[in-house]
Amino acid sequence: MEIEAKHFKELYKKQIVKDRLRSNLSKATLQAVDSREESFKEVDFQFLRAQAKMIREESVSHLNELLSEFEDQARKNGCNIFYAQTPEKARAYVLDVAVRNNVKLIVKSKSMVTEEIELVPFLSEKGIETVETDLGEYIVQLAKEKPSHITTPAIHKSRTEIAELFHEKIGTEMNDDPKFLTAEARRVLREKFLAADMGISGANFLIAETGDAVIVENEGNARLSTSSTNVHVVVTGIEKVIPKFSDLRIFMRVLGRSSTGQKLTSYVSVLRGPRTEEEKDGPREVHIVLLDNGRSSLLGTDHQEVLNCIRCGACLNVCPVYRNIGGHAYGSVYPGPIGSLVTPMYFGEKNAPDLPFASSLCGNCSEVCPVGIEIHHQLLSLRHEIVAARKSRIERFLFKNYRKTMLRPGRYQMIGRFARALSKFSVVRRIMKPWTDYRDIPEFPSQSFREIYKSGKLN
Amino acid sequence: MEDDREKIFGSIRRGLRQAEQTDAARENRSPLKEPLSADFQIRFEKFNSELVKLGGEAYVLDDFKGISDFLLRHITDDAGVFIYDEVSGIYDSALSELRSSRTYKLSTDFENDYDKRDVAQFGSAILPCAACIAETGTIVLRNSMRLPAALATRLFVITEPVRLMASLDGLFTDSFRDAGGSNLFLVTGPSRTADIEKELVTGVHGPKEVYVIFHKE
Ligand code: SF4
Repeated sequence: MEIEAKHFKELYKKQIVKDRLRSNLSKATLQAVDSREESFKEVDFQFLRAQAKMIREESVSHLNELLSEFEDQARKNGCNIFYAQTPEKARAYVLDVAVRNNVKLIVKSKSMVTEEIELVPFLSEKGIETVETDLGEYIVQLAKEKPSHITTPAIHKSRTEIAELFHEKIGTEMNDDPKFLTAEARRVLREKFLAADMGISGANFLIAETGDAVIVENEGNARLSTSSTNVHVVVTGIEKVIPKFSDLRIFMRVLGRSSTGQKLTSYVSVLRGPRTEEEKDGPREVHIVLLDNGRSSLLGTDHQEVLNCIRCGACLNVCPVYRNIGGHAYGSVYPGPIGSLVTPMYFGEKNAPDLPFASSLCGNCSEVCPVGIEIHHQLLSLRHEIVAARKSRIERFLFKNYRKTMLRPGRYQMIGRFARALSKFSVVRRIMKPWTDYRDIPEFPSQSFREIYKSGKLN
Repeated sequence: MEDDREKIFGSIRRGLRQAEQTDAARENRSPLKEPLSADFQIRFEKFNSELVKLGGEAYVLDDFKGISDFLLRHITDDAGVFIYDEVSGIYDSALSELRSSRTYKLSTDFENDYDKRDVAQFGSAILPCAACIAETGTIVLRNSMRLPAALATRLFVITEPVRLMASLDGLFTDSFRDAGGSNLFLVTGPSRTADIEKELVTGVHGPKEVYVIFHKE
């Protein structure tokens, strides 16, 4: 699957010049940073983070056992489990479920994994109307764009742009008051919920000991997607499993705070399976699609800890690079620091060779990460791998000789003299242009420090 | 359709052979800097202050008359009221005036499934709850309450003081894990979004107003 991240260098240049985008992003991300800080005051962040990191590490390093425990429990609860190694397989299964149930309209709540496998365009192409019901996702769907933030998909859009979009696409009057726009979206989407025959959601956590899928949200659309239709499909990654129900006491406290500065998000739905005989609402059929798409290949590598991510989005909000170029520049559904890691890992380094370099390595991301991922170290290590793999023969020759030169003073002096002599020719500057376009190259002095020192001119 | 289970497990096992195997030791202490006292009044004040910050309200009412007056004051429209049978059983006299003056439907009036279009018509829903959490201002709902709790514009929860727990530590325990049913739902204030320029707007899809009544009699 080819993705736009391949063209990061062109994409970011287009985005960075958009002043309005940068001011929208600054306002929104700085506000999120403040709310996050405020919300952690009441709890011991370091304790929570240490616990969350430990549980996620345990989960990932016992993935085979926990995943089969989850599968057994979920099947006992009446769910259908489907493992998909590739996006194609996952999409085909969801389509199959929809076709078997004669589904015409699907209501979908926010899920990064469904973005990753491009499920909505696929289903729409097959003639099944699939509506995003999270307000931010609905806005980007109407605009035929992609989300630009993990938790706030329309962060790049101003209220005026959204008002114009609603006016054009759903015929609302021109009014850019967020209350008005939200009420209009409620009106349109409520009708979709009432008419829908299938729901799709992601899952923030899968609990091994109970077979539960846990969905965290603020709007109530995930709750409606999971309870207003007869068929529900959860599409999520294999790494989302955690061992125990009681582990939620840690994750519920860090997730909302890290993503939106809330002590707890407005809605948490713990789904254990299809409705029981006594219940009067909820789906009769529940499917859980577990996607691999490169995740299992990270196990046992230096990048295993990336699988601990709980997709809170905190690292995006504190990232100076993200704040200036926005999510679309990354050309991936996963933007920001975590996106720069997982995009090359899930979609292949060839598809995103430049993303690990889209970081100042300031370390803000690692500092806020609620599961303690050393994001900037991971980025650095990925850079090493990419550079090592793509070094040309000339580059290898140059670095080998650079090392030899730095270790031998006589050779160093000789090369120094040679470089000083060469630097006088303009052709050398021309050859170095691709390098000097972005960097200042200082004038070479006519004599080296050693020569000046020997000549006695040094005071 | 055949799935990729064996391929994925093969890949996981190959990777994990090199990985360090650890067994996490969980610490059971609460991450709250100041744990809440067991006193109901203190817990209630915390619960209410959290709920008010989110746009909801909580009350302690002593008798059925108080509950009845409260509901009549807050349900003034004619959009109809959905009443969960458990509430109507316990608070029969508190609901009698409301029932005689407003259109209403009991959950037991739906023989099998709720008709979602029907439920969506109701302006208000009155439900019981499994628990409330003071730390976050959260209401815990179970079983056949998801549609009414998500579709009504106004959500009323009537419960007893004993259901008010101090923190999330009390919720994520074995007793809630093993309580049965197909779902557990937490509601923390009205439905909200900040998707448009980070401006907070309530009532995106779910209720715009949330009221919790603790009946103290
Ligand atoms: S890497 Fe950490 S901070 Fe970033 S989204 Fe994942 S959990 Fe959140």
